[in-house]
Amino acid sequence: MLQYVNMKIDGGDFRATKGSSVLDVAIEYGICIPHLCHVPNLSEIGACRLCIVEHVVNGRSKVTTSCTLLVKEGMVIRSNTEKIKKLRRNIAELLVAQAPNSRAIQDIAVRCGVKEVRYPFRNENCVLCGRCVRVCSELFGAKAIGFVGRGKDRRVEPPFGVLSDLCKHCGTCIDLCPMTFNPCEGYMKSGEEHLCGKCESQMLLADNLPESCVWCELGEGFQCSRY
Amino acid sequence: MIKINTVSGVEALRKRLLKERKKFSATLSLCGGTGCQASGSRALIDAVKDQLVKQGVEKSVHVRLTGCHGFCEQGPIVVIEPGNIFYCHVLPDDADEIVSKTVCDGEVIERLLYTDPVSGKRIQTEAEIPFYLAQDRQIMAQNRHVDPCAIEDYIAIGGYSAIGKILSGTAPKAVVEEIKASGLRGRGGGGFPTGRKWAECREAPGDEKYVICNADEGDPGAYMDCGVLEGNPHLVLEGMMIGAWAIGARQGYVYVRKEYPLALERVRVAVQQARELGFLGENILGSSFSFDIEIARGGGAFVCGESTALIASLEGKIGEPRPKDVHTVVDGLWHRPTTLNNVETWANVPSIILNGSAWFASKGSNGSKGTKILALTGRIKNTGLVEVAMGTPLRNIIFDIGGGASNGNLIKAVQTGGPSGGCLPADKFDLPLDFEALAEAGSMVGSGGMVVMDEETCMVDVAKYFLTFLQDESCGKCVPCRLGIDRMLEIITEITEGRGHAEQISLLEELGYTVGETSLCGLGKTAANPVLSTLRYFREEYEAHINQKQCPAGVCQALITYGIDSEKCTGCGVCKDACPHEAIMGKKKQAHTIDLHLCQKCGICSSDCKFDAIQVH
Amino acid sequence: MSPELLDSILEGRRSQPHQLIEVLHDVQEHYGYISEDAMKTISNDLGVPLIEIYGVASFYKAFSLKPRGKNVITMCTGTACHVRGAKPLLNQATSQLGVQPGETTQDGLFTIEKVNCLGACAFGPIVTENGDYHHDMSPGKLRKLIKSLHPTRTEETSHD
Repeated sequence: MLQYVNMKIDGGDFRATKGSSVLDVAIEYGICIPHLCHVPNLSEIGACRLCIVEHVVNGRSKVTTSCTLLVKEGMVIRSNTEKIKKLRRNIAELLVAQAPNSRAIQDIAVRCGVKEVRYPFRNENCVLCGRCVRVCSELFGAKAIGFVGRGKDRRVEPPFGVLSDLCKHCGTCIDLCPMTFNPCEGYMKSGEEHLCGKCESQMLLADNLPESCVWCELGEGFQCSRY
Repeated sequence: MIKINTVSGVEALRKRLLKERKKFSATLSLCGGTGCQASGSRALIDAVKDQLVKQGVEKSVHVRLTGCHGFCEQGPIVVIEPGNIFYCHVLPDDADEIVSKTVCDGEVIERLLYTDPVSGKRIQTEAEIPFYLAQDRQIMAQNRHVDPCAIEDYIAIGGYSAIGKILSGTAPKAVVEEIKASGLRGRGGGGFPTGRKWAECREAPGDEKYVICNADEGDPGAYMDCGVLEGNPHLVLEGMMIGAWAIGARQGYVYVRKEYPLALERVRVAVQQARELGFLGENILGSSFSFDIEIARGGGAFVCGESTALIASLEGKIGEPRPKDVHTVVDGLWHRPTTLNNVETWANVPSIILNGSAWFASKGSNGSKGTKILALTGRIKNTGLVEVAMGTPLRNIIFDIGGGASNGNLIKAVQTGGPSGGCLPADKFDLPLDFEALAEAGSMVGSGGMVVMDEETCMVDVAKYFLTFLQDESCGKCVPCRLGIDRMLEIITEITEGRGHAEQISLLEELGYTVGETSLCGLGKTAANPVLSTLRYFREEYEAHINQKQCPAGVCQALITYGIDSEKCTGCGVCKDACPHEAIMGKKKQAHTIDLHLCQKCGICSSDCKFDAIQVH
Repeated sequence: MSPELLDSILEGRRSQPHQLIEVLHDVQEHYGYISEDAMKTISNDLGVPLIEIYGVASFYKAFSLKPRGKNVITMCTGTACHVRGAKPLLNQATSQLGVQPGETTQDGLFTIEKVNCLGACAFGPIVTENGDYHHDMSPGKLRKLIKSLHPTRTEETSHD
């Protein structure tokens, strides 16, 4: 039998299933918390840090990722404070500067309110969200790819960098990869590295209802779990 | 060795050992810490032993290769009892004289004594040396009396009597309460109350629990845990035994940094000896308590100092931290309740049990009790391991113990807490060594690294150094730590190369704040401290790099040029031979010059010049 | 690489995945590096997926995936050594040997490595050569040290 807990998110009262994460509850009730590394039915690693919220305990608030935070009776969460919005924007800015040629990352940046990017663009083809690694090992048990190296050398690779027969070519890793969506205006040429900002129209509705999911196209772009 | 089956058996052995040792007419303690071994103490002990045999006194003299004595600057060190005679910078050639004069005739050899740099007087005994006088050495002082490879030495100075006391009838809960009452806080950096950690772990559901000793001391420029583990491993083991009894664990692990081969070897020997004597294994000292310890080697990853990463590493996995929404005291090693403490924390436990929590709490400041070991290094006269009561003002540590700047320069900052800490300027030197006081000032006590910096240290370069370190050591899992540190380093590099602009200072501050608030683990959460603290106290140095394109300390390569002072240059040619870029010209015995087009600013000539003739502009 | 040695390293540890790092330490110690073949055997014997072994071996600095040189020069770049002048030492080693930290010279004679702290901070800057400590180093002393290890080797001076 399912057990429930009562909790508050942004002032509203919610009934949540015991064992679910704060992010699960938010998605279920249509509260907008941007996220990237979270994929339903895969383990949570808390790597992208976009889904941060303030968890208020004894009057003190702590910033933590909602995907790894399990619901508890009487829990108080703030998902959309000025502090959280600023931190989220800064993380999204780091991400988009790293991979400006991904439509999904661009959409996340716009959704998180990034207007300008203050770092030189790098055209990396991976942001290490780890969706591929987890789906390969957790859903299919193939373990054909994994994280290799550390720090700035961290990358996703098959053993010894050569694809082996562990890979069954199921293609799920590619389906889940946020880098496979080209920007709507095509690849950026060097010297023209800026966000076009056209998607910002999507934000007109969202800006008026900051806490709620308005089914914006941006979410579709970054594979928000609501879609 | 015969296994001891009772608590009174330990006391009996101690009495026997003390009686046996009375027959020695003298005891020589040679420091054999990593530092002193690097400066030649191994050759010294061989020479001393040779001389004892040659002079026929090897049976009546006790020679002991011990762990670190603390005053590394003066190594190799020899202390001779009776008389507490302290010899420093001892060479193997001195062995003959030490044995014939001091050991046999009780005569003191003047030239080997320590000279006080202030008064210029020679000091005969260890106890009178200002470096030691200003300290409160509860843990470090034991090192001198113990050969780390001889469990008898530890027992002779009262070792394993704390576990004996507990096994003769202290309930585990009472042990936890005693540690709680002492006010002991984690010595590894976080400063979390140890008693509370133990209580939570004790109360956590589960039959199988673990204790772990974190000896993965990764802070660059800090070696307190190395000094303790290498010098007195049984003290740490005894602490772990007490902790295991208190929380109900049967198995413990010591996770030792691979870069400390000596500590690793000695803790291995210690575990073996403790097993042989019956301090580890089934039914310890005839009680119902069973406990054993395994040793694991760290793989060279700073992030493994973080508890969840260390646990992952012990499980044979990548040392990646995991979110700590559930604490390791409940869900730790193999998802079982686990108490993880640092070497120094464990080392404090036996004396709290023996002397009582009130004794421990009588030392230190309001919220920070007991003593703390610090690695005092950098541009200072007396470098080494020092131990002071918490609450001691930084000034006393730097000047009374450290003796001030090494070369008459002005000390401008002290870096505390390693890569997680910050730089405090000279006008903050009255701050007490206290967890809260240092955190408020933007630094932290951390594990106890204390690097003193003078006017020839560039604070922007220091921030860059730590960022480079952290970029290398970040596991790369979470975005703010991986990319945030990377971007901060990118900006600081631009600044140190004279390509920075004014807005970057506020960007650094904002980015630092973001990395600190949102990173997954302790490494990222504190990664911005070196940048934020130098921005807070030494902003003018950043501005000089940005606005005037100058490095006031003359460190940042892109902003300096090297030249040769023709007055000071003797034309010896050392720099010319040393220069890998053939940028130095000149004839023998005539002043040399540097071709600035060829000069790569590597600094090799300046490090090699004995006449201080290479100047930085 | 002798299979017997690897066999003895694995003895008593088979089917114990948590022994992975200890096994890798021993392999590194005895063979000087961790080869693909060794990883495949370890994967089989410990029951750890190959990708995890590759991940672990490439994560920790203690493990090298390529053979190292006959002489390993390790430069301490801890904070204390840094403020006492570790940088010119690194410059000396890289320009004298013509390789960067983590690399091995083409003749297989030298590898330069960086380490964050060796615990002998009071005697910095520290350099170790095949595990032997050298304290209070200067570029000149290091040059002589490297030369003494292989006197006939011609220096590759880089002029980059």
